Amino acid sequence: MNARLALLGAMLALVAAGGRAATESPAAGTAQGVYSAAQADAGAQVYAGRCAVCHGADLSGTWEIPALRGRFVGNWGRTPLAKLYDYLGHAMPQFAPGTLEPPDNVAVIAFLLRENGAPAGGRPLPADRAALERIVLDPVTPH
Amino acid sequence: MQLPGERGRSPNGARPDRSLTVDWRRREVLRGAGAAGLALGLGACGDARPAVGLPPAGARPSLVPMRLTLDQLIDVKCCIRPLRAAGPNLSAERLGDTLVIHNYGHGGSGWSLSWGSAEIAVGKAMSTLPREVAVIGCGIIGLTTAVVAQRAGLRVTIYARELIQRTRSFRASGSFTPDSRVALAEPAGPAFGDLWEKMARLSWKAFRTYLGQPGNPVEFGDSYAVSESPITRRHWPRDPAITGSWKPGGLPQQNSEFGHYNDRIKDIMRQPVDLAPEENPFALPYAQRSSQMYFNFASYGHALLSEFFAMGGHFINREFHEPAELAGLPEKVVIHCTGYAARDFWRDDTIIPVRGQTGWLVPQDDAHYAVRHHNLSVHSKRDGIVVMNNLDPSGQDIGEMLGVGDSMELPDRGPIEAALKTLQPLFGRGGRS
Repeated sequence: MNARLALLGAMLALVAAGGRAATESPAAGTAQGVYSAAQADAGAQVYAGRCAVCHGADLSGTWEIPALRGRFVGNWGRTPLAKLYDYLGHAMPQFAPGTLEPPDNVAVIAFLLRENGAPAGGRPLPADRAALERIVLDPVTPH
Repeated sequence: MQLPGERGRSPNGARPDRSLTVDWRRREVLRGAGAAGLALGLGACGDARPAVGLPPAGARPSLVPMRLTLDQLIDVKCCIRPLRAAGPNLSAERLGDTLVIHNYGHGGSGWSLSWGSAEIAVGKAMSTLPREVAVIGCGIIGLTTAVVAQRAGLRVTIYARELIQRTRSFRASGSFTPDSRVALAEPAGPAFGDLWEKMARLSWKAFRTYLGQPGNPVEFGDSYAVSESPITRRHWPRDPAITGSWKPGGLPQQNSEFGHYNDRIKDIMRQPVDLAPEENPFALPYAQRSSQMYFNFASYGHALLSEFFAMGGHFINREFHEPAELAGLPEKVVIHCTGYAARDFWRDDTIIPVRGQTGWLVPQDDAHYAVRHHNLSVHSKRDGIVVMNNLDPSGQDIGEMLGVGDSMELPDRGPIEAALKTLQPLFGRGGRS
């Protein structure tokens, strides 16, 4: 009996947790300032050292390599940043996948957000997958 | 494109006039990896002499002369290049709740930069996460932009007065000339060079995907420059006697004001090579050969339209008269590609008209190459032999200033006929030896 009650309690707790997670996300969009300017600067350094060799110093890519402007927002738009964080973490840089450390990974994301017109905010983007799950990439208005 | 061994044979198998071709068999040294194919080709011609004499590596055994007689002239087309001093307009602006992304004003480089320019415009559109876009205009920029947008997953409607076949784009010459009157160096600024290079490289890659497609929408051919004297690259230093400049109206006053960017891609657009006297089939002592990428309008237009409609594109025949009309379209992201027409439609008087015209001779399938003699040129393509006379009416070479500020869009046969008369004798016996 006690065991059954405990099991039921555990199940209720799971349901409650699941329900809470569902109502909490997404909590923010990149239009709200989800990275810091200093973090984007750091990300620019990481980008120059690890990404620019393929994607170009100006992020424009080539016929073969995806651009990280414009179409980039189209490809990742309305997607939680956690997906981008995971992808960069396990697939990039392609010549050394899995070598982007979490702080560098979020710094690069901050840099990409800045380069695609998302505003900086007061706090850096956390290298925390759960937090990134609650932030989606918002559309931007080009100039 | 013919195989080397097929050159020098007319479609019915007859040998062309040998006096007009080069006798390669004088050469006794076997050079180059393509030698076996050439030997086979010459041997197959049934000549009694052994095919041991081979051209230098990279050379062609012979050229079928172009038929440049007036009876072959079947069309003269005129068009206006939309030159903007600062280069193409690729900016975006809001018009009520509609986002307008511009993609116009590519001077004489619209075809050549079409894919790269479309990539930039569509990239901007994509950053707003639309499901559908409108494209205004169906010239080479509009249609390419529409296809690029479709390839990016968007639903696309083109609104235009005409399909591509009746636009100014189809009155171009059809060669890859990515820095032809595309901008003025100073107002475009150094950053434009970087942008231009991206557009040119991406376009080059895109065009290459059409090589060998049915109808040969894109091809490579040899292009020869011929002259009485050694051929050097023309430079236009600033003429101090001309005190005016492009400021303030954007109208260039002399050649030195134009931006030149081709050197940035010389790894793909190769420099011409001098022909040795025994390689030169022309009636003048000096010749250079380069490889030219070019477009056959009929098949290229067909290929783009076919892709557009196959991917679910819609075409709505419509003419616009003022920018505000775009805000009434159901699509809230609009890519504006009206080329020279933007001068009136968008009231963009920074667009400078640069007139140009081409004569068209009956296509000659056994001669796919180009010849330029100073400012006169002929280029034999599958859609006809293009004739150009880029001398001003007084016969002077004024370089890229030719046609600047001239919006007369009616053709004038006189200069085309004059070019044919001058060029025809070049296809005689020649060489310096």
